[in-house]
Amino acid sequence: MAITFEQVNFSYGQGSLSQPILKDISTTIPSGKITAIIGQTGSGKSTLVQHINGLLKPTNGKVIINDFELTSQTKEKQLVALRAQVGMVFQFPESQLFANTVLEDVMYGSLNFGQDHLAAKEAAQAALTMVGLPSQHWDKSPFALSGGQMRRVAIAGTLALNPPIIVLDEPAAGLDPLGQAELVKLMLNLKKQDKTVVLISHQMDQVMTVADWTLVMHQGQVIAAETPTTLFNRPLSWFKKVHLDLPTAGQFAQQLMAQGWQFKERPLTLEQLAQAINQEVTIHE
Amino acid sequence: MEKAITIKNLKYQYDQNQPLFDGLNLNIEQGQWVALVGHNGSGKSTLAKLILGLLVADEGEIAVLGQTLSEDSVDEIRGQIGMVFQNPDNQFVGATVADDVAFGLENLEVPSEAMSAKIQAALEVVGMEEFTDREPHHLSGGQKQRVALASVLALEPKIIILDEATAMLDPDGRQMVQATLKKLKQLYGSELTLITITHDMDEASLADRVVVVNDGQLVMDGQPNQVFAQGATLAKIGLELPFSMQLIQRLDPRPQNYMNQQELLAWLSPLNK
Repeated sequence: MAITFEQVNFSYGQGSLSQPILKDISTTIPSGKITAIIGQTGSGKSTLVQHINGLLKPTNGKVIINDFELTSQTKEKQLVALRAQVGMVFQFPESQLFANTVLEDVMYGSLNFGQDHLAAKEAAQAALTMVGLPSQHWDKSPFALSGGQMRRVAIAGTLALNPPIIVLDEPAAGLDPLGQAELVKLMLNLKKQDKTVVLISHQMDQVMTVADWTLVMHQGQVIAAETPTTLFNRPLSWFKKVHLDLPTAGQFAQQLMAQGWQFKERPLTLEQLAQAINQEVTIHE
Repeated sequence: MEKAITIKNLKYQYDQNQPLFDGLNLNIEQGQWVALVGHNGSGKSTLAKLILGLLVADEGEIAVLGQTLSEDSVDEIRGQIGMVFQNPDNQFVGATVADDVAFGLENLEVPSEAMSAKIQAALEVVGMEEFTDREPHHLSGGQKQRVALASVLALEPKIIILDEATAMLDPDGRQMVQATLKKLKQLYGSELTLITITHDMDEASLADRVVVVNDGQLVMDGQPNQVFAQGATLAKIGLELPFSMQLIQRLDPRPQNYMNQQELLAWLSPLNK
């Protein structure tokens, strides 16, 4: 399910007090892929993704989510249909856990959407399995779990509704390496099931590992829409201008290049970097 | 010199079937910067809560600067320890940055004529002196954590514990806070004991000593280079090596010991001739 933004503008406030947050955005988030939205704090990333499930409506222009058209005129009633299509996981979603047990928490959404108890339970169990939370934890209080486990329960709550589009805002923030690796696995799994995954991330290493497509936001505009490899091969001056980092391997390679090393292409992953260094050393031996 | 923290035979369990600490021993010298590392749920934050007396041990003894932790001493001990938590948004009470730093001083009944100098000095140490009159919620995450650190510093603690204080920050914010910690160590030297609880190994590499905790056990304890030489053990308990060490493992030829990124760049330099 692709998501298309057509000349989307969004402002808070009206008239002379209005503050433009999104400026004339026309771009497409491809269906069945993982798209990373990156950009510094305040660039408009969160505002952009809140247009995908109609939490915000464009001031001008439209967002087309599959066959749903979101404009300034869209009524609240109509949004119900959209919300079933788009699962949103906000930052630190574990702060919204509330039920007595993990299973009840994950079932809550499905019951709210009118599913019967059995169907809701099955959906919850499937979602918990997908996020990799062992069944021994399902009857525990969510608050007895570790931070990383709580995060997964919260994500399962969204997945249980089986939405074709899943938006994750900084899902790995604060997780340890193991938790982050689990999350990468989960996103790749969702892609395998043909879901459209939208990821807001500050971690360029993670973007390089999982994303098929990237959108770069800067001062309310999308200034790049391309593959991570194309993006991270842009000149260093461009990254300075938009206050973004290269992946760690790219940063290290850049420092070597400042020492006089030459690489055909900028290495962007640990493996690429090690290979490039080893190759250079061998050539010169 | 007295130890900053002494932990003897510490036992603690959340519920009856799951002992977390089962006879833990740990000494931390005054003036040391110790990184306490472990995955989420390894027990490192619980240990900090036990040291602060926010949780009570089932058995064993904790002493802070020579004073044994007990119901009678807990208030005094907390006065010696400053704590910065993970979520920058949960630790603000003041309407402005200065008010926020003032809050702890007011609790200590510091006279108001002495207060503004103390506030200014603490904000200067963390590089936030130009933000005195700003509202805390308008700051970035990295700035908020530095204000939280200033609030702690104003109380002149002997020990500061940072519990995953950079985990929620973006890369810029993380760098800002880490640079501030380095500055603190230079400024206060042996007067300040720093304990950073983290799972970021690049952050741990800044410390004098790395203590690795897993399932309530100390599994490694040494200088960063000693600990990072044991990558396989770290990987087994869900931790990652610092980036430079991961790269070293893939190089041929490679250095024999752990190096940080700057050292590795210097080591590689003569190979590119």
